[in-house]
Amino acid sequence: MLRIESLSITLGEFSVCNVLLEIQPGEYFIILGPTGAGKTVLLETIAGIHMPESGRILLGDNEITSTEPRLRNIGMVYQDYMLFPHLTVEDNIAFGLRQRKNSPDNHYALVEEMCSLLEISHLMKRYPGTLSGGEQQRVALARALVIKPEILLLDEPMSALDGRTRERMRVELSRIRKLTGTTIIQITHHFDDVFALADRIAIMREGRIIQTGETSEVFLHPSDTFIAEFLGIGNIIRGTSSNAGNIIQITTRNGTAFFAASDVIGDVVATLHAEDVILSTAPFSSSARNSVLGTVTEVIPSGSTVRVILDVGFLLTALLTRESCRELYLEPGSRVYATFKASAVHVIPVTSQQ
Amino acid sequence: MRKISLAVTLILFFIISATLLGLILYSPLPVLGQSLTNPEIQFAILLSLVTSVISTIICIAIAIPVAYALARYQFFGKRIATLALTLPLTLPPLVAGIALLLFFGTTAWGRALDQAGFAVIFTPLGIIVAEVFVNIPYMIRILRSAFSSINPRYEYVAKTLGCTDTGAFLQVTLPMARHGLLAGAVITWSKAMGEFGAVLMVAGATTMRTETLPIALYLNISTGDLNLAVAAATILILISLITLCAVEYFDRGVHVF
Repeated sequence: MLRIESLSITLGEFSVCNVLLEIQPGEYFIILGPTGAGKTVLLETIAGIHMPESGRILLGDNEITSTEPRLRNIGMVYQDYMLFPHLTVEDNIAFGLRQRKNSPDNHYALVEEMCSLLEISHLMKRYPGTLSGGEQQRVALARALVIKPEILLLDEPMSALDGRTRERMRVELSRIRKLTGTTIIQITHHFDDVFALADRIAIMREGRIIQTGETSEVFLHPSDTFIAEFLGIGNIIRGTSSNAGNIIQITTRNGTAFFAASDVIGDVVATLHAEDVILSTAPFSSSARNSVLGTVTEVIPSGSTVRVILDVGFLLTALLTRESCRELYLEPGSRVYATFKASAVHVIPVTSQQ
Repeated sequence: MRKISLAVTLILFFIISATLLGLILYSPLPVLGQSLTNPEIQFAILLSLVTSVISTIICIAIAIPVAYALARYQFFGKRIATLALTLPLTLPPLVAGIALLLFFGTTAWGRALDQAGFAVIFTPLGIIVAEVFVNIPYMIRILRSAFSSINPRYEYVAKTLGCTDTGAFLQVTLPMARHGLLAGAVITWSKAMGEFGAVLMVAGATTMRTETLPIALYLNISTGDLNLAVAAATILILISLITLCAVEYFDRGVHVF
């Protein structure tokens, strides 16, 4: 288990502040956050590149806070792979093994094994400069994995790859993780990586970890507005909530009210996924507690879906298929009913900061 | 504009080529050959080669850690240090020479070195000292830019793979900077071969003792022996040519100045 206790470090304009994390063996842990949040600095500090100003890092029962990187047995793969350009693929992968004093025969066997695992055996004699992004990525992974690290750190490993290669790499990563059982900590800003790979995620902002949890838990229940906006939930509505039986009623600033299944009273921010909003030309009876009449202000097509923005007293975004949008004859000015369940609304109490 | 600039370029090309060719072709080949077998010229070639190679090696050995420190670390007084370390670059070599002469000739340090058997003033050792002093800024600048252009993350990765700090530098950064290192070495060596002002001040111009190629050129022109002067000059031109080609070959990206 990797345990990071109140870790702080400042490096130029980036800082990591009082970070607490616990990562279980074999876990796939993803750190999400906007650029400049200090994610890379955190990763590099875990690897031992930078000395923290305060706090401790524990790997299993050993404190490794001031252990040299070479003795930590933590592998690292960067966004730009950092393959040594003056060495062949084979020598790049063998680099870590050469630093240890194994027999050369053993080296070769291990390198070959790793190459066949990552399907790069045919590239062994080539230089990194001649490889495609996806191939470089595999070599970088092989180089990090061949020393059998306890933890593998991935710094936005797929952001330089095109869409299809990314998808293949995701499959690859999840396969490698199953085969090797290595604990993986990855930085990303792609949600697809998160949904595809992560067991748990942490959201990082301005050097602090502001939420940690199981992926679905964090996406469904972001702990503040920043996270909700960052995760792109679609609707973030501010208001004041009051008791309404077993549920609460949230009143927005200009008086529109709707129900939410929650028990948070006071100033709140409500989040609602755009795909949870149903649009209809006439009201209909259903189990949904909220049905409001509104005017379409904007219709924004994006791929196979359309985002429809309604004014229902506050702005509400609904996500529909192109077909639904056409069948409802939706265009700016159309009057439609928006229906959504009280239980689809996630309520976040507003803290003094916001 | 096109016509004018091309015309000026062409004219300049002809002037430079004609001047240098005129020098090389001044003495007929047999005379040039004879001059090259002259013991004084041969002594000058040998002395120039030995002192320039030694001073280049010293420059490399000192410049590598200094350039690395300037490229990678932040420390108090870095700007001042950078300025001082590269000042000899713009300093006239004569001034550098006279500073060295005063340092080694009049200070307690200089006298102590002299007593210990390292006489610098008016000796071949002085030639090496002068060459190192004048040329090391070039080596530092070239290497610093070579090291700066290498992402420190290469070293980070090397360290996670089991390297010590020094190991990561020797196995990753230094080999990656090899083009800069080679170009810097060639430039430093060629400048050492041609160094005159600083050498003249520190080592003097003693025939067959501190007589490097440029000093030989100077001494022979003073005594009117034009053929020997031309022989020395011809060798220096060839060295410049080799240097230029070598730098072009090693790395087009190295900025000399």
